Amino acid sequence: MSPAPTTTERPDIDFGLDEDSSTDRPWIVLVWNDPINLMSYVSFVFQKLFGYSKEKADRLMLDVHQKGRAVVSGGTREKAEMDVFRLHEHGLWATLQRDDQ
Amino acid sequence: MILRRRKALAFKRDGDRTTVLLGTDERDLVADLARQFHAVVADDEDPHLTRLYPTAYVDDDERQDDYAALVHDDLVRTRLGAADVVMATAWAESLDDEELAAWMQVLNGLRLLLGTRLDVSEEDEFDPDAPEAPQRALLAWLGFLLEEAVGSASDG
Repeated sequence: MSPAPTTTERPDIDFGLDEDSSTDRPWIVLVWNDPINLMSYVSFVFQKLFGYSKEKADRLMLDVHQKGRAVVSGGTREKAEMDVFRLHEHGLWATLQRDDQ
Repeated sequence: MILRRRKALAFKRDGDRTTVLLGTDERDLVADLARQFHAVVADDEDPHLTRLYPTAYVDDDERQDDYAALVHDDLVRTRLGAADVVMATAWAESLDDEELAAWMQVLNGLRLLLGTRLDVSEEDEFDPDAPEAPQRALLAWLGFLLEEAVGSASDG
């Protein structure tokens, strides 16, 4: 938390939104490995939701499978949250977080 | 995740539609499972349902609560809608792509529910003598159907 502003020359009433939208660090969407989802289905969902080629979708799917997780998309928090929702709708285990890299 | 191989036995792409090759017994089972899936999702009480509503914000409880409040009903609604489509088309000769997508959502949802109940792992091997063998066989059969559906959807 930052201290309360002592000047009012530039009032910032939507600081909550500001924190999300104008940061240099975007949000990333992660998909995590699970023992139930089929490899072909996961790749299919990546192609369907994100328009990825089969090669790219397969590579991401294999990353999830072998490394336990993969970054599948990103952007503003709103976009990342929408992507997570669509992945959840399709039964994939997805989370979003700030890109710390 | 689990790797499976494609055998065109359940669904076959035919132009812009998918022909369903299942027999009557299998269709009856699909309809009954869709009905059970509908009941469990509508009831919204089964502890194993948590896998169908994953946590989006792992380190931020406040945002997670907001997210869950925002999407939970939508996720319930789309799953109930998909189950309705499967019950209505279980005996159909063929499916359009929207109906096929509903079948995939229900087949995968059933697998998540059943797989969570069975606490499956990737290393599991089928043991016909295990007490949960029938449920494991059902999980495998649902996987076979989903694999076939993915194949047909990918050919579209």
